[in-house]
Amino acid sequence: MAEVRLSHIVKGYGTQLAVNDLSLTVNDGEFVALVGPSGCGKTTTLNLTAGLIELTGGEIHIGDRNVTDLDPKDRDIAMVFQNYALYPNKSVYKNLAFPLQMRRTPKADIDRKIREAARLLDIEHLLERRPRELSGGQQQRVALGRALVRDPKVFLMDEPLSNLDAKLRVQMRAELKRFHHDLSATIIYVTHDQLEAVTMADRMAVMHGGLLQQYDTPERVFEAPVNVFVAGFVGSPAMNLVPAQVTEGGAALESPQGWRCTLSPENARKARAASSRDVVLGARHSTITLSPTPLPGGIEGRVYTLEPTGDITFVHVRLGNDTLVISTPPATRFAPNAPVWLGVDQTKLHLFDAATGMALRAA
Amino acid sequence: MKRRDPWRIGGAVFLAGLTIFALLPMAWMLITSLKTQFAALQYPPQWLPKNPTLEQYSLLLSPGNPVGQEFLRYLFNSLWVSFASTVLGVVVAVPAAYAFSRFRFPGRNLLFYSVLLRNMFPAVVFLMPLFIMMRWLGLVNTQASLILTYLTFGLPLSIWLLKGFYDNIPVQLEQAARIDGASRFQAFILIVMPLSSPGIIATAIYSFIMAWNEYVYALTFINNAERLTLPVGLQRFFTEYATNWPGLMAASFIMSVPVVALFLVLQKYFVRALTEGAVKS
Repeated sequence: MAEVRLSHIVKGYGTQLAVNDLSLTVNDGEFVALVGPSGCGKTTTLNLTAGLIELTGGEIHIGDRNVTDLDPKDRDIAMVFQNYALYPNKSVYKNLAFPLQMRRTPKADIDRKIREAARLLDIEHLLERRPRELSGGQQQRVALGRALVRDPKVFLMDEPLSNLDAKLRVQMRAELKRFHHDLSATIIYVTHDQLEAVTMADRMAVMHGGLLQQYDTPERVFEAPVNVFVAGFVGSPAMNLVPAQVTEGGAALESPQGWRCTLSPENARKARAASSRDVVLGARHSTITLSPTPLPGGIEGRVYTLEPTGDITFVHVRLGNDTLVISTPPATRFAPNAPVWLGVDQTKLHLFDAATGMALRAA
Repeated sequence: MKRRDPWRIGGAVFLAGLTIFALLPMAWMLITSLKTQFAALQYPPQWLPKNPTLEQYSLLLSPGNPVGQEFLRYLFNSLWVSFASTVLGVVVAVPAAYAFSRFRFPGRNLLFYSVLLRNMFPAVVFLMPLFIMMRWLGLVNTQASLILTYLTFGLPLSIWLLKGFYDNIPVQLEQAARIDGASRFQAFILIVMPLSSPGIIATAIYSFIMAWNEYVYALTFINNAERLTLPVGLQRFFTEYATNWPGLMAASFIMSVPVVALFLVLQKYFVRALTEGAVKS
């Protein structure tokens, strides 16, 4: 296994930049998720790392080798594709044998390695079948096996779970994580599903519009998103983001929708760092409490609708034209259109500069 | 489904009519080829020959007599011209179609549509231009002129058909192969080619049959009796003094054998090529 270093990589199509000056280092044995909405450049970044498309600028190192100008076959990487890309005219055994044959591995070694990988992935009984005779989960394992047989330096995975049904996806998520742990493999994993990234990755790189937004541990990305985009993208349901204006020299926020909220001294310092009066207030569903009776300093809203999920009920609350989603214990009952009062946990509050979208830090 | 559906009955009647329409001339050809010269010209015609004979076939297929010699030469000429234009066509069409399907290069669309342009005009329109070009090239009266001409017909459709085929093969398969250690060329040869073999077979059949049946160009470009292909050769040969109908019919029957055989053996590929890709995506 080896570390992967992307330095200032750029990929342009015409005047459009699919990847714009992206630099990040994946440590040896680290599981990194590239995550972002479709079209954000994450798959392009993966394909650039694999060498399937050519860089417009920048350099890529795998281990201590500069692989920028190498063919995919010479980069010592393995890749798992979203549609698995199993060779349809070959049996599972031959699919697994192909990468070894291409590297002129001796026959006896090929057989031993295939048996080993098949045992690890529990696909020994499928070796003589054709890919089309396998279920989605089995195809997924074979694809993983084909990546595994030749001990590559890096595993690249392009949305490997998105073609599976929901139940299997959860199961494979755990297996992939175990796979990473057992092999101490270096893995770069592309997904549009932030939940996959958060649950599996050591670090996640959030991308948007070809630009790397934030590269940090899932905990840090979740707790301290660097900008409005990351805040809205990571976490489910998404963070509540509402525009507001700084008033009283930073001591409070007021909204054009009519509410007002006094800030803690810490948050007030952040608010004063804003480039103008306009800020965006961010609060996750779990950091707001709801009360059917007036709270001191609480913001009054109106229940819009309820989404019970069993162990948590999500309450959609309207503040003027803004809608917030707030989680409550299922025992507390709210009726649509009833007035409610929102209490905000000031220590979990996020403030962003409305002009730049960047998180505000205390000056 | 027990209930008689008028649409089904109508369809069956229509198909039966179509089959009779297609097969009757073939049957008549076969029947006539088994008659004697005299019986072939009788009126009212004999529906079934009273004294069926294989005389014409043994005459045509034995190299010992002048008739057989000439016929077998035409047959060989036709086989050679069709085979050569098929092989050349596949060799050119496969990489061309692959390039059109996979690569984005300046002028790609223009080039692709100009390839199809050739098939938008009736063949006769190109007769004189091609003849003049062949004269420049010094190829008039050679089989090379026919092979080149058949390529100009066959290639556009072959490229077009194969491109559709390559479009249906997920690009990830080649990417996987390239990551697994194959060069771009190896990925094409080892992974893509086997998957596209139904398409290649279908286009090969198409090119072969087209070359096999072609008449107008063969008639115009070649005068030397030594080099004639079957369609023209037959017509000249059997109508030189008076038409020998049983002989002509026997020769025609032999001529349709390779085409029918090709279709019977390879029709499943042909159907697959025209209806679906090799892999479901």
